[in-house]
Amino acid sequence: MNEGIAVLKVRDVLLVTMPADPDDATVSALQSRTLDAMEQHDVKALILDLSKVEILDSYFARTVAETARMVTLMGGETLIAGMRPSVAITATELNVTLGATRTVLTVDRALDLAGNLSRNKSVRKGRPWL
Amino acid sequence: MSETEQGTVPIDVEADIAVARRLVRDIAGEMGFGVTETTRIITAASELGRNVFKYAGKGVMHWRTLQKEDACGVELRFEDHGPGIADLDAAMREGHSTGGGLGMGLPGAKRLMDEMDIRTSVGEGTTVVVRKWRQR
Repeated sequence: MNEGIAVLKVRDVLLVTMPADPDDATVSALQSRTLDAMEQHDVKALILDLSKVEILDSYFARTVAETARMVTLMGGETLIAGMRPSVAITATELNVTLGATRTVLTVDRALDLAGNLSRNKSVRKGRPWL
Repeated sequence: MSETEQGTVPIDVEADIAVARRLVRDIAGEMGFGVTETTRIITAASELGRNVFKYAGKGVMHWRTLQKEDACGVELRFEDHGPGIADLDAAMREGHSTGGGLGMGLPGAKRLMDEMDIRTSVGEGTTVVVRKWRQR
């Protein structure tokens, strides 16, 4: 059967993992679950882990792009991680895009990048260098 | 799979799109399609199944396996008795949508599959047939 979305807070990053083949209800839950968790946890970045995802159709892609735009409005940054080759090929042929969202190869790399983001943000806020 | 196999899946509620998609994945896998080809087929099935649900409210997906001398294939036929497509040329153009979507359903599905036939009649419904072949 279909498993759900896993939401995990790691330091100041929100890690959201999508299941292999989410139905429409699960895809639409992505938006509300993610935004609620962003508000609750005061995180700086969202990592959307697509490494399990076996199908990204136009509806799923549009929801991902919209969610990323909403996260931007809330002051966060979105990194999409782990898209499989077969999914990337198919999404390109289907002509779906994820907007201006940053993509990274793996969740590991996304976590590294998100760590840098938050350090830079503290610098911009005028905190002392350490 | 040497005999032709076939079946029908109803698309009555939104969740049936995913049900149809998972069935198509099992069929494609069993026929020996590779991961990327299977992903193309299930993505096309998802777009076409969603069109049925979005524009007609409900319909069916018929599927069958095909055999040729040097290839085997899978055929998916999406049938609905919805409003039909008034301007098929426009519907096949990228970015055209009358349903609030991205308008990539039909042209996108056509690119992902080897063959696509559409029969539509305003007020009577739409039938979209897609096929994918695998060389033996």
